[in-house]
Amino acid sequence: MKRRFGTALLRLFTLQGSWNYERMIGVGTGVAEEPLLRDLPGGPGGPAYRSAVARGAQFFNAHPYLAGLAVGAAARAEHDGAPGDQIERLRTALCGPLGSVGDRLVWAGWLPLTAGLAVAGVALGLGSAAVVAFLVVYNLGHVALRWWALRQGWQHGLKVVVALQAPWLQRAVALAGPGMALGAGLSLPLAAVWLAGAFEPWARVALAACAGVGLLALRVLPRQVSGLRLGLGLVAVALVAGWVWR
Amino acid sequence: MSLDVQLALLLWGTLVGLDLVSVPQMMIARPLVAATVAGLILGDVETGLRLGVLFELFQLDILPVGAVRYPEYGPASVAAVSAGHLLVGPISLGVGAVVGLFVGMVGGMAIHAMRRRTARAIQRSAPALEAGDTEALIRVHVGGIVRDGARAALVTASGLALAWAARIVLPGALTPRGAGVLAAAATGAGIAAGTAGALRLVGYGPNLRWFAVGLTGGAIAAWFR
Repeated sequence: MKRRFGTALLRLFTLQGSWNYERMIGVGTGVAEEPLLRDLPGGPGGPAYRSAVARGAQFFNAHPYLAGLAVGAAARAEHDGAPGDQIERLRTALCGPLGSVGDRLVWAGWLPLTAGLAVAGVALGLGSAAVVAFLVVYNLGHVALRWWALRQGWQHGLKVVVALQAPWLQRAVALAGPGMALGAGLSLPLAAVWLAGAFEPWARVALAACAGVGLLALRVLPRQVSGLRLGLGLVAVALVAGWVWR
Repeated sequence: MSLDVQLALLLWGTLVGLDLVSVPQMMIARPLVAATVAGLILGDVETGLRLGVLFELFQLDILPVGAVRYPEYGPASVAAVSAGHLLVGPISLGVGAVVGLFVGMVGGMAIHAMRRRTARAIQRSAPALEAGDTEALIRVHVGGIVRDGARAALVTASGLALAWAARIVLPGALTPRGAGVLAAAATGAGIAAGTAGALRLVGYGPNLRWFAVGLTGGAIAAWFR
């Protein structure tokens, strides 16, 4: 079983390989769950196995790092002989909480915090060491979270919600917000000053004007203006201005 | 630039493109990582770091939740470093930003198109999937990864071609003043995007205080540096 657990964990790293607008990560979830289903009565190819594989590949969406909870829990429930509709309800019920907790913990917490610290490190002169440190530290959390999720799901089965109430997880989610805010706040002035280091004084004034106008546009017209549109618009205007101003 | 280096950049950009969503999401797709390694490949780490930081600011504007559509700054950062390397002064940032922003937009559109193709492939295999056919399940999934790899390679190759053209055209077309305007505009846009993205994540709750503490600390550190 250990080997199949390892295979399932490895497959979780490819979870979003077949991401699409209909089943979202459903197919990837089924692929990750499949090794854990091979011991079902009748073995691979048996009716229990085939029904479980079909259920595993249905629509599913959650944060990719925490999806292992659903994968492990569904596989355990299949082994425990839970009715198919109950397993489907479990998967549906887990979508919201796993998405919400994962987004707050990782996308809006751990990732911007570590990336912000890496940017600050580069701006403070640490160079590529800051980038290497980011990759190592971020992925320690990333891999540990994937492993923990799969293990907890497999351990708790239909009662997997217990895992989401783990004190360390609640604490981590609570700390993720302030940590992210601190890291992002720290990185912004350092990055701005470092990037503008080689600019002429007049170009720094132009930079400040562009940043001010851009921030205003992004805050006032969030639906119409995105970072990409702002960037493309400003560089297009600058190209024309730079070509004319000789 | 030799063919070996171009191939290395193409391979790196493809891996970076795969990492964003498909495999293994270890954040080599972050612009800071993608651009720094591209700089290493080109023998110009400094440009890699500068463009990496710039595109990291643009990346802060993106929150990849649910089915949201967003630009892809990983291969874009690789192309940007290819465009800006060994150019001296602010023009390096400006030329890199022009290429990177455009490739980022193309990459985002390519992801959307690929997801629609993957959905069609799954629809075709739906009866087999409903019957619990493992072979069909693996085939559809691996097909999605291969499709994403091909997409990432195509986006990176287009980006490198654009970078090559931009390196020829832009430095000759712009005076030092024009290069300064371009770099200031790109950096200003990055700072605005990064600040707006951070503020959106932070919100108006208690995190705003921590954001203010971070800003103050960053400003003091920048002042003394």
